Amino acid sequence: MGKTVPCSVCGATATVHLTQIVQGQITKVHLCEGCAEKGGAGDPAVFQLAGVLSQTEIPPTLACPSCGMNDADFRKKGRLGCSACWTALLPALEPLLGKIQCGVHHLGRSPSGVTYSPEQAKMRLDAARREMVEAVQSEDYESAARLRDLIRNLEGQIA
Amino acid sequence: MSVRDILSSENELTHMLGAQQAIVLSTRIRLARNLNDHPFPGWAKSAQRAKVTELCLGALNPMPKFRRAHEVRMEALPELERAALVERHLVSKELSGGKGGAALVSRDQTVSVMINEEDHLRVQVVKGGWHLRAAWHIAEQLDDALSSALPLAYSDRLGFLTACPTNVGTGLRASAMLHLPGLCLAGHMDKVARALGQDGLAVRGWLGEGSDAAGNVFQISNQQTLGLSEDTILRHLSGWVRNVVEQEENARLRLIESEGEKFLDRIARAFGTLRHARLLTSGESMANLSLLRLACDVGMLPEARRATVDRLMIEGQPAHVQLRAGIELDTEARDALRAATTRDTLADFPEPSAPKLS
Repeated sequence: MGKTVPCSVCGATATVHLTQIVQGQITKVHLCEGCAEKGGAGDPAVFQLAGVLSQTEIPPTLACPSCGMNDADFRKKGRLGCSACWTALLPALEPLLGKIQCGVHHLGRSPSGVTYSPEQAKMRLDAARREMVEAVQSEDYESAARLRDLIRNLEGQIA
Repeated sequence: MSVRDILSSENELTHMLGAQQAIVLSTRIRLARNLNDHPFPGWAKSAQRAKVTELCLGALNPMPKFRRAHEVRMEALPELERAALVERHLVSKELSGGKGGAALVSRDQTVSVMINEEDHLRVQVVKGGWHLRAAWHIAEQLDDALSSALPLAYSDRLGFLTACPTNVGTGLRASAMLHLPGLCLAGHMDKVARALGQDGLAVRGWLGEGSDAAGNVFQISNQQTLGLSEDTILRHLSGWVRNVVEQEENARLRLIESEGEKFLDRIARAFGTLRHARLLTSGESMANLSLLRLACDVGMLPEARRATVDRLMIEGQPAHVQLRAGIELDTEARDALRAATTRDTLADFPEPSAPKLS
């Protein structure tokens, strides 16, 4: 008989084994039948859930001064307490973001009225130039036109 | 204003008011946003949640998009009405079962905002058919209006701050609802879902997270929200949706060519069941309606009938059936009523004919 693997959520013998590749990074999750059913195996959210819940035993080392949530609370719930947690608990969140997201820097829109710092603008400019190349390659001229305007705008801000 | 008004009024998805398409049922944009200096709903006390509700409704109600909007407070609604709103995708299961949840649904039902779901605000734009850029454009305008009216939680480095790390950054979940009977009948759906999963897209059933693919309907959405611009996310989804639509079209062609009379038999049996059954479970009804929808797509039934089939799919869901009856029903009574409605609705449908390939 083969070696048994513990369920990433509850520790029982896992019978469902999932592999996900995000941006070339391989994540493996093992689930028992019960947890697989609860989390909906095949549903990619289960990877994130299982990754978070598997570390509930670690004692807290960080706490949010604004809402009182600590990193152990976060590992248990999988959700943050308030926007200030993103600063207070960041050391616990960064490794997770590295696994489940495409990077740790926001490249999307900002609230109206917010201006970028020079480093932010530079990073966005680099990303927009990369995207422009991709858009042209895939003959997506609508996006390319939008990106061209964005690039001009960012170049203006940096200058 | 009641939930019944929302359910009975004409809208894009049930009355084909938007441009309607064979394979893509609808396009959806969701933005997760939070207020600064207020605990997130899952960590807040009920008084704090109530305060957020008032703040958000106060900011949203004056917006032109929400003129004569439907305002619903989850806790004030009977269970059946909450369930029907979930079946319509106007609110999520989490909001309907949670504490202090509210929603504002625009008069035409293309825009809805959930308050106190996992995040303070979940903006949702839905268009019938495949209209990703149009839906995004509406969401963008609404987002600008929101950020002018409310102090949103945002950081330069991490973008819009959300309760769950899976939504941080853009807070954007863009999705398409696809009807894929060809790929399912050909047994290729698993392969397609795997390919999508490996390229950062999630494949879910008709009612989102954790639901099964009733009626061969699948929702495809982006998984990553940070480190990508909205434009990249939309382009990535767009490329894959085009790809899957093409694969579905090919699968349909192959099925029709290879199955011949067997294919016509398959559709005719589905039609017969729906036209004559006295008891129809929701699963059986969805499976057969899916085949009828396919028949409309490939010219075996008049294309104009597709909207009727879509409406039966939506209105055959358990809470909708019970709301129509006006009382809670046990499973058998529900199945009987579903069958009766389906029989009546399909009474003037012509018999399916051989497929017309273009």
